[in-house]
Amino acid sequence: MNFLEVLTAEAKLIFTDIAIVLTIVGGVLLYAFLYPQPYFSQSVTKVNVSFVDFDKSSVSRDLAFNINATPQIEISRYDMSERDAKDALIAGKVKAIIVIPHNFSRDLALKLSPVVAVGADNSYFLIYGAVLEGAMRAVLTKSATLKVGNLLVDGMPMSEAVDAYTPYSLNAINFFNKDNSYTQYVIPAVYILILQQTMLIGLGILGGGINERVRNRERAYFTKAPIWMMMSSRYIIFGSLFFVHALFYFGFSFSFFEVTHMADIGELLNFTLAFITASISLGIFLGSIFSSREVATPAVLFSSLPLVFSAGFIWPLESMPSFIKYMSDIFPSTLAMQGFLKLNQMGADFSAVMPQFSLLWLQALIYAILGYYYINKNRKKYVRD
Amino acid sequence: MFKALSDAFFKELEEIKNSYYKLALLTLFPFTVFALMIAIFYQGVAFDLPVNVVDNDKSEFSRKLLSNIDATSTIKIVSQSFNAKDAIDELKSSEVYGTIIIPAHFMRDTLLKTEPHVTAILNTQYILIGKIFKAALIEAVAKSAADVEFVRDVGKTKNSDLAENAIAPIALQITPFFNTYKNYFLFLVSALLPSVWQIFIVIVTIVSFGTLFKEKREKEFFGTSYIASKIVGKLLPYTFIFTLMGAFLLFYFYGTLGWVFEGSFAVTIFGMFLTVVAYQVVALFLFVTGFDYARALSLGAVYTAPAFAFLGVTFPTSNMNTLAIFWRDLLPISHYIELQISQANYGADIFLEIDKLLILGSFWLLFIPIVWIFKKRLGV
Repeated sequence: MNFLEVLTAEAKLIFTDIAIVLTIVGGVLLYAFLYPQPYFSQSVTKVNVSFVDFDKSSVSRDLAFNINATPQIEISRYDMSERDAKDALIAGKVKAIIVIPHNFSRDLALKLSPVVAVGADNSYFLIYGAVLEGAMRAVLTKSATLKVGNLLVDGMPMSEAVDAYTPYSLNAINFFNKDNSYTQYVIPAVYILILQQTMLIGLGILGGGINERVRNRERAYFTKAPIWMMMSSRYIIFGSLFFVHALFYFGFSFSFFEVTHMADIGELLNFTLAFITASISLGIFLGSIFSSREVATPAVLFSSLPLVFSAGFIWPLESMPSFIKYMSDIFPSTLAMQGFLKLNQMGADFSAVMPQFSLLWLQALIYAILGYYYINKNRKKYVRD
Repeated sequence: MFKALSDAFFKELEEIKNSYYKLALLTLFPFTVFALMIAIFYQGVAFDLPVNVVDNDKSEFSRKLLSNIDATSTIKIVSQSFNAKDAIDELKSSEVYGTIIIPAHFMRDTLLKTEPHVTAILNTQYILIGKIFKAALIEAVAKSAADVEFVRDVGKTKNSDLAENAIAPIALQITPFFNTYKNYFLFLVSALLPSVWQIFIVIVTIVSFGTLFKEKREKEFFGTSYIASKIVGKLLPYTFIFTLMGAFLLFYFYGTLGWVFEGSFAVTIFGMFLTVVAYQVVALFLFVTGFDYARALSLGAVYTAPAFAFLGVTFPTSNMNTLAIFWRDLLPISHYIELQISQANYGADIFLEIDKLLILGSFWLLFIPIVWIFKKRLGV
């Protein structure tokens, strides 16, 4: 058989298999839109909060106004007691409670540091964090104003009083993903995983299906074509298809969901090539050891959650057991997530991703050899001419 | 009718016993994935996050501040750079999560009360890590600043209470409700493991029916009568196993790990049972759309894989758009997680849970069209 015949035969087998097409075309397109949906609004705003004001003074009303003015908090109800507020919280009507104590304004005047209590539902950490940030900002600003006022009363000149309200302060700058956008956080990494997993399922169904038919003594191109031709066909077919997918993901989808892309296009494509080649090699290898077409989907699916959470962008690698890190490093997605995030989200130089880049090519080589070995082994076992 | 159901039940048990694949799908595979997820988050708190510093002052004050920062359990200073550019290059290549820059004349300006700014450049691409990092840093800097101020004010007023008040006219008391452990393990793993669990329910259901049809044994298994009972009988062993597995997870969280469970185990496990059946019915529905084993698996993957993102445990439902809420409502696990959180954390009254249980139960209605399609397919 010549190469063109093998290529056509492979393409026919791939694109007439509804389960494969559903995954490598349907799944890829659907996920591109479905996955970012929860994060579409990017950050947590307007968390419903109950305000319990035991003071009912102009100062406490003023503070309520300031708290409500922060983007994070929306005072959605005023309760007469902490108990009522807590009931509202349990019924899911609010996520946090802010309590102004009795005699708040009097204690302020007496310089007794009255305590404003903020309680937030920590079952949801982003909600908790947002409430805290909003409340802290409003209360600290109020506190600072009062403090400067006190210093002025003490006879300090205004300019000095403003400066001296704390000895030194922290100016925290969000360097990448400045607005703490959740889309920006999750999508670049998850897209990589989607590309890899759909690729592996597609190639897994293909390879597993062929193994099954070879085992059933079926004779077709896959029992006689040179193995290198079959493998090359897969690199060409899956490579070109997923290259288009990658362009669609990193180009159109990123723009659509307002994800930054800082990487140089040439460097990005260079890295993409390494990632796609490594994924195809892994897919060919997995396909060569799957016993049937139905093994691929479950096997790949089960690995998805561990792969996302062990890649280091959600939870620090430093806080994981090291065996997890080594295990996840054998998958192209882990290296690719780390590399793409550096290149595209943080604007690192290509030299910063060289370790990942070279490891991806190493994976591409090793999995290709393993794939070749097992396809050959399976063929020798069942095909005797 | 009951006879048909119990026959199918025992026949299925036999099938499970004779298939290593099914046995592994019910034991080895799910528990391996559970164990991996547990291992990833087992530490629960992040510590020793690497940062680098640029100290342009090299004074007593700057060294004191840096050593206070380094002394936090969260942050670890791993390197010193001489200029901001080198430091930021390290940040870009992810070697450190942040850069702390202390300005020149830091000590002098502090003493002159001109409030110098310590700059921290944080990698907030990793939102969660960035948040943990920032919180620890704010605390360390505020504490160091307060120390300086306290010494200064006590010197001035000779009264430590008044000096304290001068630092903060309004005190802020922050109370986390429910997850008081300040621990990400509880928070993430108690939602992640159920997300893994639902994937297995769907896959196993499809495998169970898929293998039967692939091997063309469906006529032999179902015969011509009591189709509905036999489908139930075939599903039932898995219903038991997965409810048991769910209960096991619950006891692992709230028994072994000793997290507080405020509500009723009975209600929560009943909710789990409803969830298992809901997923079995949906999985079966995906299968009968074409009776194609591999295709049903692909559909099952699309359906279950992104579930965690839609739970609202990380990114809250109140900020999700209509489309996301719609997809979320189609996933039984999101209703179950609401039940689990409100039972475990709030100890909510059962009457508050009825709506969640009803929604989970409503998935069962899909069983009606399924039986109809099945009968058509089997020609009875």
